Amino acid sequence: MGRAAAGWFVLLSSVAEAAGVQERTAARAERFEALRRAFERASGGGAASDEERMQVIARVFHHRNRIALELVELAEEASDDPIALDALTTAVWQVNTTPWPIEVAGEDPARGRAFALLQRDHLRSDRLGPLCQRVSSGFCGEYETFLRAVLDENPHDAVRAQACVALAHFLKNRRQRIDLVDEQPELAREFEGLYGVEYLAALRGQERAQADAEAAALYERAAADHGDVKLPGGGTVGEQARAGLFELRHLSVGKAAPDLEGEDQEGIRFKLSDYRGKVVLIDFWHQY
Amino acid sequence: MKKLKDRPFALIGVNVNGYDPAQLKAAMEKEELGWRSFADPGPLGRGPITVSWNLTATPTFYLLDHRGVIRRKWVGGSGGAVLDSAIERLLREAEGRGSPR
Repeated sequence: MGRAAAGWFVLLSSVAEAAGVQERTAARAERFEALRRAFERASGGGAASDEERMQVIARVFHHRNRIALELVELAEEASDDPIALDALTTAVWQVNTTPWPIEVAGEDPARGRAFALLQRDHLRSDRLGPLCQRVSSGFCGEYETFLRAVLDENPHDAVRAQACVALAHFLKNRRQRIDLVDEQPELAREFEGLYGVEYLAALRGQERAQADAEAAALYERAAADHGDVKLPGGGTVGEQARAGLFELRHLSVGKAAPDLEGEDQEGIRFKLSDYRGKVVLIDFWHQY
Repeated sequence: MKKLKDRPFALIGVNVNGYDPAQLKAAMEKEELGWRSFADPGPLGRGPITVSWNLTATPTFYLLDHRGVIRRKWVGGSGGAVLDSAIERLLREAEGRGSPR
């Protein structure tokens, strides 16, 4: 009788526990959804003057940094809930490397905590692909550390594939940002404010050829080891890697530009090489 | 860049919206853009030129010298003064006045 009663008691409490977990999970899902929507709403537009534009940007950054902190707190509480990784992925949002002054952009206190949590709880997840893609266009040191850790430790082939090509993109893009700072030293102040004085100095001291060589090696590895892995946005890792390699080998300063051929806005066929003998500025543009 | 009319310079656009030439012409008239642009038909950002040049951000600029060599590259825009002085230096090379860097 004692044992049966104990069994009954255990059953009831585990049902109650399960119901409690479901309630908590549902509540967290709602909270994440609310934060995600608030995050999306925090965008600005329609500013007329430069000063107004800076004010809009400052508001957006401040708002998003605040929401990012709440997302990190949600992830901290819910470390065993899949929603934690969704929250952290949304919290890592500064992947645009426009060098806004630090007075406008403000500090991002969520970033360090987000990556500490990612390192501690999520490094072996099979859902890290989107975050790898997202940080590949960023500049922060934490993004490089994270991508290298995923590449080394994640057991899922598809995730390692995305981390490999993302790290190659990251190194290539970051080097292009440094070229910009070398050309316009007055931008150094903005980059230092956003990312750190020592970090920027270390990057500027790095040999360009070495940074590009590592990116090329990672692209080659991605194409060779993971070429067929499909990407969520379409295409394969192999295609992205080969495009990155093409850019490093043929579209860098000092290379003869590949020829371009197509129709202009009048339907007339022409080539870039038609303009040999002239200085040419190629402008890739899009209409909003 | 308006003063470059009589100098060996060309501004060539590549539109990445994926418009065909007729759509591109309409868009350029609406935006009041006069310079020659390649149409790159296909899904937005996925036309053959945009894909093969691995575009990740607009605007992206490539500055070529008169021999077709890439001398500068700016992904995601650049300051106007930097662009102007870079163009000027390459124009002098093309005109035989400057010394190559």
